[in-house]
Amino acid sequence: MTKKLEELEAFVVEGKVAIPATYSAGTVGSRFLIEMRDNKRIMGMRCSKCGIVYVPPRSTCESCFDKLDEWVEVSDTGTILTYTVACQPSPVLPAEPPVIYGIIRLDGAGTGFVHMLGEVKSEELRVGMRVKAVFKEERTASVLDIKYFRPLK
Amino acid sequence: MEKEPTQEYIQVKIDTPRPYRWSTGKYLGKLYKEARDRKKLVTNRCTKCKELVYPPQMVCGRCKVEAGQDWVEMSDKGTVVQYTYLIFPRWDPHRGEYYSSPYPSATVLLDSGLYLRSRLEEQDTKKLKRGMRVQAVWKEKGRGRGQDDIEYFRTIEELEVGK
Amino acid sequence: MANRVAIVGIGQTFHKSKRPDVNQAEMANEAVRAALTDAQLGSKDIEAVVSSNMEPFEGVYLPDHWMASEMAACGKSGFKVATGGTSGASAVVEAFHLIASGLASTSLVVGFQKHDTGDTQAGMTACMTPVFGSGATTGAISEFANQALVYMEKSGAKEEHAAMVRLKADRGACRNPYAQLKLGLKGVEEILSSGYLEWPIRILDFCPQTCGACALVLASEEIAGKITRKPVWIADTITVHQEPFRAGSFGDPTGLETYSQDVASTKLYKRNGITNPRKDIDMAEIYEPSTWEEMMHYEHYHFCDENEGWKLIEKGITAIEGEFPVNPSGGVLSTNPIGATPVIRVAEAALQIRGDAGEHQVTRDVKTAVATALGGCNWTTMILLRRSL
Repeated sequence: MTKKLEELEAFVVEGKVAIPATYSAGTVGSRFLIEMRDNKRIMGMRCSKCGIVYVPPRSTCESCFDKLDEWVEVSDTGTILTYTVACQPSPVLPAEPPVIYGIIRLDGAGTGFVHMLGEVKSEELRVGMRVKAVFKEERTASVLDIKYFRPLK
Repeated sequence: MEKEPTQEYIQVKIDTPRPYRWSTGKYLGKLYKEARDRKKLVTNRCTKCKELVYPPQMVCGRCKVEAGQDWVEMSDKGTVVQYTYLIFPRWDPHRGEYYSSPYPSATVLLDSGLYLRSRLEEQDTKKLKRGMRVQAVWKEKGRGRGQDDIEYFRTIEELEVGK
Repeated sequence: MANRVAIVGIGQTFHKSKRPDVNQAEMANEAVRAALTDAQLGSKDIEAVVSSNMEPFEGVYLPDHWMASEMAACGKSGFKVATGGTSGASAVVEAFHLIASGLASTSLVVGFQKHDTGDTQAGMTACMTPVFGSGATTGAISEFANQALVYMEKSGAKEEHAAMVRLKADRGACRNPYAQLKLGLKGVEEILSSGYLEWPIRILDFCPQTCGACALVLASEEIAGKITRKPVWIADTITVHQEPFRAGSFGDPTGLETYSQDVASTKLYKRNGITNPRKDIDMAEIYEPSTWEEMMHYEHYHFCDENEGWKLIEKGITAIEGEFPVNPSGGVLSTNPIGATPVIRVAEAALQIRGDAGEHQVTRDVKTAVATALGGCNWTTMILLRRSL
């Protein structure tokens, strides 16, 4: 039995793949999250050679490849470098849309920190605006222990 | 330089199922359709080397030419070439649950000359042996998953020719 | 005319089943630092970084992107290679090509896998069905179980021989500070009374899931001459594929057709003047996911004739003190971080050539060694190393 290719039907198979995974934050990542959970402190890691303070902290300097172990506390207040609004629903969004999030340079940090912005309408936002972290009452050692960043009045 | 506190390691568990929509293309599509609608296994025979290509596909791997549209219906009977069974339950990512033991599975050499891997119906592992004759038992309602629409292979007693 | 390429730095982590104290990036970084220290080079001296990892087994995608800092890859060329079980070997081959072609004079290979994150067998099952049928495949183990059964019946090998393979691997692992499984097994009886994993493979017949990383620094002849007195030359590499899904994804189920290993070793030996592998090569580090596979691979790589693989292990020919040592490091049976495993095979073979393997250094003087890798759909990669070209 032969058939012409055009007469054949293509199928689309729908399914789901569920592979459970357990991610390790590692020693450095764990300390960062634990300090937020237990002390409402945001910690960064400083490279003594380059002077860069990484927030969130990491164990190797991107620039000079030195091993890093100088912990510094950075402020919970910072400046908006940029922001955007997620309008469409998605299973990976941490909240219901519209979700406003931005890249914030915390005072004392040399890198941007991605997080959500709250208590503000998107029209009111400006690059350069000063914002402060609002921590949740119940914290679980997650980056979402910060509920969002709100504009400084 | 601050001293680090005693070690608590944070771990994050994620097991959200990820949906997918996988396109079979037309060659595999034919296998899937015939399996679902007629409970038959079909595949194409390469027009150059005349070997059956399984699963059916556009290019014959051996000849490296387009395999062509010579479709062949395959026998649903075969011989067990090798088999195994589980001791510990294993996770099936497609159903989101564990396969239970013993879950015997085998490589079956179909009478048409093709190898197929599938479950076996026989749960008594002592009865499993290489060379036993089996026949495909199809699911009541095929889901359009090709070979996966076969529920399992059932052991058959065959009369030897001449006896 | 291709440039000559040598391995000038070797580093690996202490392989463990769980590493909650590091994330993937930090774990790979440990191996990178060890290799750079061994080569006495800094991160600035590396021109290209080739990494190897199988993402579905951890569920962390594009690790080479977010790990660029820890792999000394910022501002450098190179990319991640993912070719199943052979990923690490493919990464070594790619790093070798970069220097052989003259596009770079130094390169870094980083293989890593953090198995405590995901479910490896589920990852393999997920990518094999829906072509196979979800009712049959329970990951790679069922494939190897099928092959073991056939080998037992065809060659006359017994479960005792599989146990002897584990015993040899364990003795090597106990002498290798980096190996994960150091069981201290006393004898074959101990193994034969242990439980089955998926019949006829016992838990002790199979490799573990490991968190580990391994890194190699490769350099051109000119640079190698300046930094080390013990370069290990990559003499040749070969990669062979097999027709996929023809009968399972790790080869022919009857064990009769070996195809990719056969083709790879025949070609490699021919173009390197190797006519008697056990004489012309001094040792091998092969990729053996199960004890039965090791015996079968002895045959497939032409270390012995067909159906004779189990005799090599029975006579102790492949032990550390033996005439043709295979996997004195403990092999894959003792340590298996998939993305790193083939890199570990090359690293261990190189250590043997340098005479730096410490307590698991083989008795025979190693001038030539071969490292192999096995991957899904029965890919084979072989890398030939020599003390001098």
